[in-house]
Amino acid sequence: MTHFDASKELLEFIVDRVNIGVFILNQNHEVQLWNSFMASNSGKSAEEVVGQNLFQCFPDLPERWFARKVNSVFMLKNFAFTSWEQRAYLFPFRHNRPVTGGMDHMCQDMTLMPIKNADGEVESVCIVLFDSTDTAIYRNMHQAAMQKLEMASRVDGLTQLFNRAHWQSRLVEEFSRAGRYKHPMSLLLFDLDHFKSINDKYGHLGGDAVLVRVAQLVMESLRESDVAGRYGGEEFGIILPNTDGGGAMVVAERLRRSIESSPVPFENLTIAMSASIGVVEFCSDFTDAEHMISKADEALYRAKEMGRNRVVPAS
Amino acid sequence: MQEVVNVAMGQAGDSLARFLEVFIHLSVPRIRLVEREELNAELERMVGGQAVPVSGVSQGFYQLDSGTGIRGEAIVVFTDSSFKELADLLAYDDTLTTESEKELLLDVTNILNGACLNGVGEQIEAELGFSPPSIMGQHVPISQLLEYQQASWDHALLVEITYTLEDRSFSCTMFLLMPGESIQVVKQALDRLLEDL
Repeated sequence: MTHFDASKELLEFIVDRVNIGVFILNQNHEVQLWNSFMASNSGKSAEEVVGQNLFQCFPDLPERWFARKVNSVFMLKNFAFTSWEQRAYLFPFRHNRPVTGGMDHMCQDMTLMPIKNADGEVESVCIVLFDSTDTAIYRNMHQAAMQKLEMASRVDGLTQLFNRAHWQSRLVEEFSRAGRYKHPMSLLLFDLDHFKSINDKYGHLGGDAVLVRVAQLVMESLRESDVAGRYGGEEFGIILPNTDGGGAMVVAERLRRSIESSPVPFENLTIAMSASIGVVEFCSDFTDAEHMISKADEALYRAKEMGRNRVVPAS
Repeated sequence: MQEVVNVAMGQAGDSLARFLEVFIHLSVPRIRLVEREELNAELERMVGGQAVPVSGVSQGFYQLDSGTGIRGEAIVVFTDSSFKELADLLAYDDTLTTESEKELLLDVTNILNGACLNGVGEQIEAELGFSPPSIMGQHVPISQLLEYQQASWDHALLVEITYTLEDRSFSCTMFLLMPGESIQVVKQALDRLLEDL
């Protein structure tokens, strides 16, 4: 502050023209200074606003919220801050990315600074308003990209069902929920019959077509809360929350029939297929989710032994 | 240093009470200088264990009109259970949404830091500026809070404060991270202060 007087005009020029909003309020919330950025964005010139109460000039402002912020600076003699992340804007200004931005108004960050007199009392509050629209846009893009990544890390690329890692973590969650709330819960584990010979006969592309089609049939037969995943090469798992063993048998049998009656078209041919399904209902004797899977696996193994294309409940 | 922070925290409690319109009692802050390696274990002990979910807010501070003055980062850690107590009393709106909870975290941190550090600044005759506070993490174990912080400091001044809000108790831990040379500046300022007395 030492060379203030020598360059007072220069400082006034900078404050007025800098591409940031600067305004000053006194204890009664009357505007003491209103720079060009504020004037051009708000449509109200300094002549119209200076000396007037801010909230009377702009009746649509969130007065209770902003007054509290301003008053805290007077009372605590301390800086205060607002962020667009909590409240997108104070003034509904337009911004400079109207086409590509996907935002209605300029996002704003503010810093509120105490202006003290010689006795150390706060006489007025200087508010600096930053345009954070670009940051907000990048943040949104970043979040969208992160969501896609998160999805990609959960999903099996070929079938678009959950991959094994994510499916298993969901199973662990549902398993502990069933134990905690004494809700029924069941698990299907199924395997495509003679998948190796399908691969041998039609090539890997044929095998892939079969896997994709089966995944579609699985998705069509499930409820919102059911969780289907690709467990291994041609092995799939389905978690059925709030479903007892009887209900799970019905779901499994419906799925088995739908797979059996949906041959897959592939290069002028059709590939017939069937599935063997093991079904297990949650039981509090199971030590953990792995235990439940091994029970389903045993049932699946017996379904294969008994001639395939059938549903077998765990013993 | 203990005395300087005691006085500063008295002012902080007074400010907080006036601003929030609740009666607040502050314990005498406990202060300690810790090394980087000890910090995590020390913080875990303070909040009551590794698994206790906490929220943390960080705010930079620096001495105005001096390029070589003190600068550092003030971090305030709230345990979830105690923050809920505070939030119940102070929510800006009737219901505490995710956004208003964040705003409350930021505001309370800013008030505590401002009051405490301005008080310290006044006593060592340094005027401080602040950067906007930012949320480091919410509802995470404390080790996760500091996981991604660049370790560009060697010592931290740990300030442990407990508030009692009427019938509720609420505690938070503030720690001031300062690079070595800043601690020197504080020490010199304190020495000058003591000589003046």
